[in-house]
Amino acid sequence: MLHQFSDQLFNGITLGMLYILVALGLNIILGLMGVINFSHGAFFMLGAYVAYTLAPHVGFFPSLLLAALAVGLLGIAFEALLVRPLYKRLPEYTLLLTYGTALVFEQLVRFVWGDDAVRYSGLPDWLSGSVTFGDFSFPVYKDVFLVLVTIAILAVVWLLINRTNVGVIIRAGTRDAQMVQILGINMPLTFTLVFGLGSFLAGLAGALAAPVYAIIPSLASQWIILTFVIVIVGGIGSFWGAIAGGLIIGILSSLMELIYPPAVELTGFIIMGLILLIRPRGLFGVEGLFE
Amino acid sequence: MKAWATLAGIAAAFVALPLLMPGGTLDLYPLAGARFPLHAGFVDLATTVLVFGLFALGFNLLFGHTGELSFGHAMFFALGAYATAIYSKGFDVTLGPFHPQFAGGSNGLVALALALGSAALWAWFLARLIVPRSSGIYYSMITLAFAQVVYFIAFRWSELTGGEDGLQGVARPDLPGLPSGWLGDSLHVYIFTATVAFFAVALNLWIVRSNFGSVLHAIRENKARARFLGYDVDKYRVNAFVLSALFPALAGWLWTYLQQAINPDAGSVDYSGRVVMMSLLGGINTFAGPILGAFVYWDLQNRVSGLTKYWPAAIGIIFAFFVIAAPGGIGSAFEALQRALARRSRGDDGPRAGQLAAGEGAAP
Repeated sequence: MLHQFSDQLFNGITLGMLYILVALGLNIILGLMGVINFSHGAFFMLGAYVAYTLAPHVGFFPSLLLAALAVGLLGIAFEALLVRPLYKRLPEYTLLLTYGTALVFEQLVRFVWGDDAVRYSGLPDWLSGSVTFGDFSFPVYKDVFLVLVTIAILAVVWLLINRTNVGVIIRAGTRDAQMVQILGINMPLTFTLVFGLGSFLAGLAGALAAPVYAIIPSLASQWIILTFVIVIVGGIGSFWGAIAGGLIIGILSSLMELIYPPAVELTGFIIMGLILLIRPRGLFGVEGLFE
Repeated sequence: MKAWATLAGIAAAFVALPLLMPGGTLDLYPLAGARFPLHAGFVDLATTVLVFGLFALGFNLLFGHTGELSFGHAMFFALGAYATAIYSKGFDVTLGPFHPQFAGGSNGLVALALALGSAALWAWFLARLIVPRSSGIYYSMITLAFAQVVYFIAFRWSELTGGEDGLQGVARPDLPGLPSGWLGDSLHVYIFTATVAFFAVALNLWIVRSNFGSVLHAIRENKARARFLGYDVDKYRVNAFVLSALFPALAGWLWTYLQQAINPDAGSVDYSGRVVMMSLLGGINTFAGPILGAFVYWDLQNRVSGLTKYWPAAIGIIFAFFVIAAPGGIGSAFEALQRALARRSRGDDGPRAGQLAAGEGAAP
């Protein structure tokens, strides 16, 4: 029983870490620009597929970085070409546009990589084993490496947002983008770069997820919905909200596997319903944003 | 346009619809090969268009008329469909110490009442939860997420819903005043669906043109002003939500009888998204736009899916193009034409056509 519990707890933490990365990217974009990128889940999926394709050729670490960079660049091009013309309209139109493009990305992936799940290979030997603690054993990659890497990435993003000039612009822009623009900051450029950063995080999460989860074209739509739930639970535009939401949903839905397996998928939605009742702006929601 | 003229136009369209489908006698683009006088396949396709047209019309009561984008309306479609299927198939489930069971019924009107009732209850509950707490894209995200609850229950509660495979072999209902087994072939199902759809469309038109509908339009244009005028905005939003859930539920009822089967896909994001796309393609600012959109969507899907199995990409590209370049949809082009003709016959300048139709900056 204790073993099952610890297994599921660590599964939940791993899942939570990936949720955090994906939700954080979506949340920064949403907070700053006030738009939702429905294709964000597709960016996550593309990260996984690109890492899967590159890893056997260029090695594990370069494949992580290249996949994230490729998706980040895609995000920049995507924002500049498709999303930008819609800023003067209601944010609903960006949601609609990115819904349409998510369909296209999913079919593109089916076209290039096929309908069936692909199996990742290319994890170096030192990451494929397990470490043991007494009679508990933990897979090195999933329970140790992935968690530590995510924490390191989060630290970097936190420093970027809170300790750099770019971060000041992002935080101020989240409050009032128009005012920041009037102060002489090039907001269109900032928007593009932040969109790229969010996409980079999604791509990186996908690349990190590739060795652990089955890589299939339906990843995109599964993940985008959960990401929405995490953002709602954690609070729109909040760094700590994405972290809290990701961990809560990841861990509780994994533990639900022990309590009542048929309800695993429902866990996140139940938590979201409760949060809406108690604290509609989310756990760490910023006052005045989207209210 | 006068209400009777709109309804007459819609009635005429419903009569012509089976002939307009791919392969039909009036098909404008006969890519699909031979033309048949009346072929069961495209009569069923025409019925599908009506079902989804009704579904989209209900959805548009929120998006087009109240200005709120629900990304989860398939949940009401699924509720209506499952209520119908479960009623006609019966059930025998275990709920802790209880074993509720039901042998199944054949009364179409009872099924209809169950479909509408379950959708209305769930919609009312959700609207009370969501409406006071959210608006804008936040509202869209939340409706999408709650739709997944219905989807996963349909998917997981196999005892009641048949799980992933769904329920097959749903018998078509007996209808009062009609001989038993009347709904035996495609054409009769079409006539039945078109008749129901026509009255539902008329009801929808009445809602949109009523005082209630005007308040919804006011809310769409400016919530704060509507509130200052003394309207209880949230109450209207809740009522609009419930009303807009009834049309998908009705569509689900019709859909189950057409398909004689139902599976969880009916409640999926994919279905919610389809209806959003249909409405926008057809034109959310026009009354009949969503029905037109349903026709365009299914027509397109039918043709493109014959060419490639990656057809959703084609629909995604066309949809994305419309969002960027023509958010008013096809219907707004018709409306602009209509206004231009009216101006010509009046011989004055009137309001400039294209102001509304361009959709640029116009609130949805």
